[in-house]
Amino acid sequence: MSDGNGPIAAARADGRTLLTEVESKQLLHDAGINVTQARLATSADDAVAAADDIGYPAVLKVVSGDIAHKSDVGGVELNLGDGDAVRAAYDRMMSAVAEAAPGSSVDGVSVQQMADQGTEVIIGTTTDPQFGPVLAFGLGGIMVEVLRDVAFRIVPLEARDARQIVREIRGYPVLEGVRGQAGADLDALEAMILQVSEFANEHPEVAELDLNPVFAYPDGAIAVDARVVLAED
Amino acid sequence: MAVDRDRLHRTLTPRSVAVVGAKGPDFGWLENNRDFVGPLYSVQLDPNEITEIEKRGFTNYLKLEEVPEDIDLVICAVPRPIVPFIVADSIKKNVGGMAIFSAGFAETGEEDAAELQDRIVQLANDAGMPIVGPNCMGVYNRRQGVKFSDGVDHGDGGTVSIMGQSGTHTIGATTMAQRVGIPVSRGISFGNAVVVNEADYIEYLRDDPDTEVIGVYLEGLKDGRRFFQALRETTPKKPVVIWKGGQTAAGQRATRSHTASLATPMATWNALIAQTGAIPANSVDEMVDALQALVHTTAPRGRRLALMAMTGGQSVAISDAFGRQGLEVPELADKTYERIGEFFNVIGGSFRNPFDMANTIGMAGDSANLARIMQAVGDDPNIDAMVFEFSAGFFARMWKDHPERLEEMLDELDGFRERTGLPLVTVMHGGAMDEEVIPIRDQVVARGLAVFPSFDRAALALSRVINYYEWVDEAG
Repeated sequence: MSDGNGPIAAARADGRTLLTEVESKQLLHDAGINVTQARLATSADDAVAAADDIGYPAVLKVVSGDIAHKSDVGGVELNLGDGDAVRAAYDRMMSAVAEAAPGSSVDGVSVQQMADQGTEVIIGTTTDPQFGPVLAFGLGGIMVEVLRDVAFRIVPLEARDARQIVREIRGYPVLEGVRGQAGADLDALEAMILQVSEFANEHPEVAELDLNPVFAYPDGAIAVDARVVLAED
Repeated sequence: MAVDRDRLHRTLTPRSVAVVGAKGPDFGWLENNRDFVGPLYSVQLDPNEITEIEKRGFTNYLKLEEVPEDIDLVICAVPRPIVPFIVADSIKKNVGGMAIFSAGFAETGEEDAAELQDRIVQLANDAGMPIVGPNCMGVYNRRQGVKFSDGVDHGDGGTVSIMGQSGTHTIGATTMAQRVGIPVSRGISFGNAVVVNEADYIEYLRDDPDTEVIGVYLEGLKDGRRFFQALRETTPKKPVVIWKGGQTAAGQRATRSHTASLATPMATWNALIAQTGAIPANSVDEMVDALQALVHTTAPRGRRLALMAMTGGQSVAISDAFGRQGLEVPELADKTYERIGEFFNVIGGSFRNPFDMANTIGMAGDSANLARIMQAVGDDPNIDAMVFEFSAGFFARMWKDHPERLEEMLDELDGFRERTGLPLVTVMHGGAMDEEVIPIRDQVVARGLAVFPSFDRAALALSRVINYYEWVDEAG
């Protein structure tokens, strides 16, 4: 595998199997998958510099191995229009997290582009003991959590599999566009599914991968959150 | 590790066989192989068994190495602690490979038994010797007359191969296929699959010129990724029917003790089916039904059916059964209606598709009118396949007394197939007359026609085969 000094090696060196969002996105970005840029910042100044670089509006998310649900503890700040807003959000987040999750080790914040809201879908992989990586696709949010409206394909997928998996879910009409709402760019989704399949196929050391959510637009798609879990060494 | 293909071929297509450990009272492993085309030897140490073995006309040796010829297949039926010694002897003798019937290895969950199995695997892998099993019924080869059961035939022909993790189901599917006129060229019951696994077998059958259609029974996989890839390479050329055992929590508990198989969610198995175009089956009946629809019909090129029923009630039932499986029952062309309308008796009958035709073709069998119907439907451009039901419960007595009337009907069906090249399946539901219907069904089987005992089974089998050919077409 290629990452002699990449995020996987870094996580292994720390004895971690869970990659941070920043690491996960870097890995996926390197694989050509369209993810929102994310950069680790450890101070308010850092955060402003990163946001200046990436562009506004920006998003801050707390980076902590101890916090699973970032928004529950005030660890997500959206739609920050300029450097002052980023600085204020950074300070607000540090005190909110310290109060809501005292004792958590906080590595900093990830500074990201604010992506426009699109139709939420998820693309993920898990590892089956017999078949190896298996890819899952579904609508995001409530559709996946409540209705388990997810379809599966064994990695590696062929173009036909990507075409079918998108159409197999019950919520497919939502992607086609309903009641005047714009549909999703199915070609872009299928392309991303094939990229994720290729990534999983080439990285047997990745036990789990979650792009959740991916925003699907009438033109294009982008993953705004990502999580990679490595297999036990 | 990759299996030696030449040695696997010798194992599955042997020209010489040694049975080690045949025992009374039946000496089944020897007796089953009486038809074997090459030399068959017994290896047995026990003087009590040897006397009877020789009395039955088999040549016995005390040790495998004493057998004067090269051996392609060793069938090993000794008690489990002896198995490693026979494996070592087989390696020394440089045989093609082994089929190990002996059981009581990893599937028991006992630590000692697992270690015993590990020793066998180590020996075989180091020597590059294929082993079918252990804990299996081994090898059937129709041409060679190697049999894993006394119920399987020996002879030429056969385009179907069946491989399975269960001896019961592999033999069951093989004998049931024979019963409906499908000779099976190869059967492989592979049990624990610890040396040669399911991926090796499917790769072998993918490349085997004696195999055009494959039936598979699986509980779990040793090398799922390679099996998946091999299956993908097979299905564009050869249809593969897969029956996955252990689909429920209770079933998976049973597979754990049967073959120590890991549980994979059914959603993943369904993905396998979707991605490979394999034909799913949920029972031995469904597997053999699918084989019938594959072997006894031409490849379907569409899902529009002509449904030929004898009575009004059946015309409704047959339409529902095939409609439920997503098949279409279209209106026929005006020209067809004109032709049939000239003579069809619409009192108590219909020819709009579905057909209700007993009053027109005559309870006594008016083959002239049946011929005209079959001609007209065969010429119709809206039809991709035909389903013909016999209402055998009504006609069984008559056909018993006048078998020639059924033969005339079957002549018309044969004519339809020859003229049109369209797939044709038949349904013979016995109703309360099932005993009388058995010999009648055999008349249909003898014609090489697909015949199903119910509309539902026919519809499921035909729809699955149509789905398969659509998949192949889409794959381009």
